[in-house]
Amino acid sequence: MRDETHEPETREEPPPFGGSWRTLYAVLLVNLAVLTALFYLFTRYFG
Amino acid sequence: MRPLDWAVLFIALAGIVLYGVWKGRRTRDLEDFLVADRRQPWHRVALSIMATQASAVTFLATPGQAFADGMRFVQVYLGLPVAMVILSATAVGLYHRLKVYTAYEYLEGRFDLKTRTLAALLFLALRGLSTGVSLYAPSLILSAVMGWDIRVVIFIIGGAVMLYASLGGARAVDNTNFLQFLIIMGGMFVAFFTIVRLLPADVSFLEATRVAGKLGRLNAVDFSFDVKNQYNFWSGLVGGCFLALAYFGTDQSQVQRYLSGGSAAQSRLGLLFNGLVKVPMQFFILFLGAMVFAFYQFTQPPVFFNPVQLEQARAGAHGAQFRALEDTYAAAFAEKQQAARAYVGALRANDTAAAATASRQLQSAQDKANGVRAGAVEIIKEFDAKPNDTNYVFLSFVTRYMPAGLVGLVLAAVFFASMSSTASEWSALASTTVVDIQRRLLMPGASERFYFISSKLATVFWGLFAIAFAQYAGQLGSLVEAVNRLGSLFYGTLLGIFLLGFYFKRVGGTAAFAGALAGEAAVLYCFFRTPLAFLWYNVVGAAVVVLTALLVNAFIKQNRGR
Repeated sequence: MRDETHEPETREEPPPFGGSWRTLYAVLLVNLAVLTALFYLFTRYFG
Repeated sequence: MRPLDWAVLFIALAGIVLYGVWKGRRTRDLEDFLVADRRQPWHRVALSIMATQASAVTFLATPGQAFADGMRFVQVYLGLPVAMVILSATAVGLYHRLKVYTAYEYLEGRFDLKTRTLAALLFLALRGLSTGVSLYAPSLILSAVMGWDIRVVIFIIGGAVMLYASLGGARAVDNTNFLQFLIIMGGMFVAFFTIVRLLPADVSFLEATRVAGKLGRLNAVDFSFDVKNQYNFWSGLVGGCFLALAYFGTDQSQVQRYLSGGSAAQSRLGLLFNGLVKVPMQFFILFLGAMVFAFYQFTQPPVFFNPVQLEQARAGAHGAQFRALEDTYAAAFAEKQQAARAYVGALRANDTAAAATASRQLQSAQDKANGVRAGAVEIIKEFDAKPNDTNYVFLSFVTRYMPAGLVGLVLAAVFFASMSSTASEWSALASTTVVDIQRRLLMPGASERFYFISSKLATVFWGLFAIAFAQYAGQLGSLVEAVNRLGSLFYGTLLGIFLLGFYFKRVGGTAAFAGALAGEAAVLYCFFRTPLAFLWYNVVGAAVVVLTALLVNAFIKQNRGR
């Protein structure tokens, strides 16, 4: 195994949907924020 | 179990074994056996990852957790999506570019052989011991609730997994995991709709949910900060993120799943899908438990859900006292049921004052029932020092109230959950044994064919080891609990080593090794000497590894400069 551990990734394959990886990462984090807000409302409503 | 349930269970188990063997029939070389020829599409990677993480105990204990303690457990998973983003952006591309078979292989290229071997041995020791326990734990619950011989349950799960995992390797494991996970979730949805259907005709789903909420079972999120409590937002987000980083980034049973992706993009999508659906999935399973709780506000539950210990208590030296407590519990339940109906009636009439009164009566009746139950548990302590029936709540409900055929389906889902996580563990143990130990240290230079056969034999070895361990786990007592907790004591250190590799380019092997030793000492100190919640061990371990390695590295460089 060559020591390529720090070689920059020159050609990053784009995701098959969503445009870019950054967009998909943002979707995931926004989803987490929305879920947390919904859990808070759920706890408040039923608590 | 009715004949239809037996038929469903038998067809499901036989079917999955045949499917696994069939899917793995074309496995012909080491690459294929260890990483499914790196051709899996993202949806298979995603569901295989989820099936690996979700063991049978997850599906049995999580609803029980919500039943007993509410839904706050969901917060443990809040850091997972963040970890999926971090791993997708860093580790996945690196592992794919290096075409490694195991995560630990990366450490030799980055640091040195001793760091790789330390990490591989840590994984083998921890996962090797815990795989026996993860086979034993669901078998114990299944045998107690179904009245089956535990050795038969262990043999069925272990034997089935060994057959397809040793013949087809990662390809068979990933494909069966995918199908098993679909059936598991199908079983959970069926169970959920059955609970809703079984609620009393005069109580709506929303009203039953509000009863569960009033009794504190719908407490999904808590923003107060307390490092001694792992069930709050901050512990879940920070500690849970570190735990997920360690588990998905350094545990070969997970790394192997996304190494089998057709490309880095396929692996990334698999991890991101897991990050997207894991939190709602855990919420759903907990909500299922909360609905079982709501159901038991209108239908009398047993005073204790483990049927074996219940019978032992009834027949024991304090049997008469226990049966009297059961009668008192029935009276307390009747009172509670009346209060629950009064509360529902007040809600329906939109009478705020009456709802507040009924709510207080409901809470008071709940406290009374809990008090009676605590007395019954004291008697059960005669047979078990730490009686806990949380894991039996869901399966007890399934076997008592679900219709014929569906009991078999849910039981098959529980078997599948155990099989999928067990198969991934054995496959990962085999790959680490052969790639990091046999091929690198003990027998380097042999043919690929030799290592391919060795991988199959290693899977059989770890399977037999797990089955043997599980057969005797019942006699190990508190050791089983210790093994269960062992993993959380080492993940932080493993994560720290990998973080150094990924982000601190100038840190060498000796500094990383010293950092690992210091990190482990810090985690053990926290475990034995502090009340810190276990989710924070991963943060402490990883931080101490990184900081110590940076200091040692600076010291080494300074000495070289002189």
